[in-house]
Amino acid sequence: MNAVEIKNLTTVLNGIEVIKNINLTLEQGKFLGIVGPNGCGKTTLLRTIIGSATPLSGSVTVFGMTPKEAVKAHIFGYLPQNQNIINNFPARSMDVVLMGLYGQLGLFRWPTKKHKQKAYEMLDILGMSGLGNATFSKLSGGQKQRISIARALINNPKLLILDEPSTGIDMVGQTDFYQLLKELQNQIGLSIIMVSHDIGAITTFVDEIACINKTLYYHGNPFGALDRQVLEKLYGRKVSLVTHSDCCSQCDKNKHE
Amino acid sequence: MTAAANAIKINMNEYINAAKEALSMSFIQRALISGIMLGIFSGIISVFIVLRRISFLGSGISHAAFGGVAIGFVTGINPIFTALAYSILTAIGIEQISAKGKVSEDTAIGIFFASSMALGIVLIGLSTSYNVDLHGYLFGSILAITHSDMTATIAMSLILTTVIILITKELHFITFNEELAYSSGIRVRLIKFIFITSMAIAIVTGIKLVGVILVSALLVIPGATANLITNSLFKMIIASSFITLFSIISGISISYLFNLAPGGTIVLIMSACFAAAYFLRKRY
Repeated sequence: MNAVEIKNLTTVLNGIEVIKNINLTLEQGKFLGIVGPNGCGKTTLLRTIIGSATPLSGSVTVFGMTPKEAVKAHIFGYLPQNQNIINNFPARSMDVVLMGLYGQLGLFRWPTKKHKQKAYEMLDILGMSGLGNATFSKLSGGQKQRISIARALINNPKLLILDEPSTGIDMVGQTDFYQLLKELQNQIGLSIIMVSHDIGAITTFVDEIACINKTLYYHGNPFGALDRQVLEKLYGRKVSLVTHSDCCSQCDKNKHE
Repeated sequence: MTAAANAIKINMNEYINAAKEALSMSFIQRALISGIMLGIFSGIISVFIVLRRISFLGSGISHAAFGGVAIGFVTGINPIFTALAYSILTAIGIEQISAKGKVSEDTAIGIFFASSMALGIVLIGLSTSYNVDLHGYLFGSILAITHSDMTATIAMSLILTTVIILITKELHFITFNEELAYSSGIRVRLIKFIFITSMAIAIVTGIKLVGVILVSALLVIPGATANLITNSLFKMIIASSFITLFSIISGISISYLFNLAPGGTIVLIMSACFAAAYFLRKRY
């Protein structure tokens, strides 16, 4: 079964056509990266997939369900681009992780010891076990992202949706973060959709890339997205690209010299 | 020195005797009981109003309630009921208009706020039953609370406190991030409707105590003060309720002893608590 099927999708926000006629399919268990310039509709596409934006035409199905049905079935683990938390927000990291279970628990039911134990396990998996009692709003960008991933994963979602998750994280932190996602994908068969600005960095980690600028310009093998013609069409101008990988060709060349 | 100490002692004794005498009076008892019950609820809801950054909405609804009070004066219906219906409709109207995204929430509040006040002024001008009650609605009349007002305040406070406690975890999540809460399966619109309605009911109940003009202070200052001195939701709720109760009880007592306006005194004490918390937090 496909994790996501998008057919002829057009979404209009405040009278502006933000995405137009997009067709895209993601197989279950695959890791899809979405790239494109600022304001090209990446976030709107994600919001349409989770059902918080309504399409003008076309359809989205998530594991065969409409987005709203998928929300009720707790299919999604979601990490928005900007969590916009106020400075003194009264929540510990542990409370934030447990929030991921509130939808499943339903009204008038509170997290039990078992749920708290699970939250500690999630924090441990993400290397944040010592920060359970720390105030969430006081943590660094990287720590907040890891705690947020723990929150997104605690209800055992089938589809993890991440909108620019590496914003505010340094280069080393970003690589660690992408590797962590890859491990989670392999270990629990999670389907992942991740929006990123950094096309060079994510090509090593994702299975497929979709290049979007209002409409879909490319979908397929990640290295195919590095093609000069694809990038020029996507960004509307010549683009110089720096790629990252486990093996740096320039360093190897220097070693031999 | 001894004479001055004796004078202070005599004055203190006089105040203690006056306080004992005041507490034996039924209108003071009614004011205190109503104030305590409203204080518990407004202390809790204030936390979420401050965290959701909708303080201006509280202010907007309380001023809009004036339009509802005026409808009551003109139609002869109890102004509290018309103010309640009008405030709930206003709150929902503001939420709906701002949710469409064409008008920002603060603009929607500003429009409803001014239009409702204008409606109130026009209707009061038309009303033939203009009397001193209007002054009570504008500036509060906590010492004039009747037995039925007190019963209504107790019932409202108990019901709404229970409702808000039952949806605290959902409110906490929605306040943290509305879209995240939605994507996790929280019924965001239902919870927001319950919250906004509770807020409107609290405002209308508070009008009797401190008046249309000052009631929004009850819903903003305690939560803002508690947010400065606490780091968990539970502690924030306790601190906010305590600040409200302290301000209401001491405000009623001081206003009685020194013959001051009770509504204004309560709000000034709350403001002093905020100032103290702000400067203490800055220092430590």
